[in-house]
Parts: sequence; C-alpha cells; structure tokens
Amino acid sequence: MAGEVKMTEGVKCTCEAAIVGLYACAGGSNVGQMTNKVAVELTKKGKGKIMCTVGIGGDVPGILKSTEGTDEIIAIDGCALMCAKRSLERAGFTVDKHVILSELGMKKNKELDLNENEANEIMAKVEEALKI
Amino acid sequence: MKIEILGSGCAKCKRTKEIVEQAVAELGIVAEVVKVEDMNAALDYGVMITPAVVVDGDVKIAGKVPTLEKVKEWLTKK
Repeated sequence: MAGEVKMTEGVKCTCEAAIVGLYACAGGSNVGQMTNKVAVELTKKGKGKIMCTVGIGGDVPGILKSTEGTDEIIAIDGCALMCAKRSLERAGFTVDKHVILSELGMKKNKELDLNENEANEIMAKVEEALKI
Repeated sequence: MKIEILGSGCAKCKRTKEIVEQAVAELGIVAEVVKVEDMNAALDYGVMITPAVVVDGDVKIAGKVPTLEKVKEWLTKK
C-alpha cells in the first residue's frame, strides 16, 4: 500500500489533472468500512481524490461546490442500499461510475476490522470494475 | 467585504485572483482580497479542490476559474 496521506495534501489543485471525485459510503458494516479503505488507497495511488460523502447529504456548501468542480464522480458503495450514489443523485449530481463491493464477492456483515489481504483483493476488483 | 482566494499559488489560482481583483475594480467596491495558500484553511471551509473563492465566509466556487461576470454577480448580490 502507498504511503501516508497528510490532510493538507488532501486538497487537490485542478491545475494538475482532471479531478476524479471518490465518494465512499463509509457505512457501519465491513463493506461500508472497506469502501473508505478503497477510496483512501485509490487516492494514494493517484487514481482519484477522496471526498466527503456525508457533506453531500449534509448540504455543506464547500463540499457541494467542490463536487461541482470535479470532472468525474465515482460512487463506491458497500452494499445494494447504494447510499453514496443515492446521496449524490439526491443532491443533483450525476454519478459517472459506480461500484458496489457486495457485488464483487464481499459478503456484508457487522465486522468493522478490515483484513489486509481482503482489502488488496477488493482493491484489484474495484480497479478492474471501474477501469481505472 | 472579505474575498478569499484559496489555492496553492498555481496558474488557475493566480488567474482567479486577477479576475476577482478586476471585478472589484470595475464595480468600484471596497473589498479585501486575500490569497490563502494554507490548505488547512480550505479544508475548514469543506473545500477539497482548488482554486476556490470565498466571499464573507460563503464558498462560491471550487475547482474552477470563475468568469468575470459570475464574480460580479456574487459581489453585487451581497
């Protein structure tokens, strides 16, 4: 896995390249927590920029404006409830790419501690599914 | 009125500041235009991509260079 991401590096300048916003559901289950892990790792790999999904539902102006400024929106949901995708669409955004971890072979349960091997496997499947 | 330009000092950020200063000058209003390069300040506003423009604490745009007309609209609607 790539190195640590400092918070101040979390703000991305649009001069660099197209901005791909990554919106993880980060829900209260193993698949939900894994979406956050996936978004963090994709950010570290330079394949997108983790954004604050909860701020979309919370109608937070800075986060909504940041989302308007993205070139592509990717929703990463843990399960078929699709909370991330639905939150974005409810706020009026079009989701360009969407992935659901439970449909990639990860069974949903209440465990919150993530397994590193499983995380690596899911990462590979997500990258393949999203073609990134 | 306080106008903050959030950005790292890149080309788009500089262009944004020029446009804001032009809008202020053409409208003849009194405003403090501040360039903010501390990205923690951007995060405090929920801004995750730059450049961004904040007028009196209200985030107007993020990740894009605004048009002169749009900036004038923000400043005259206050």
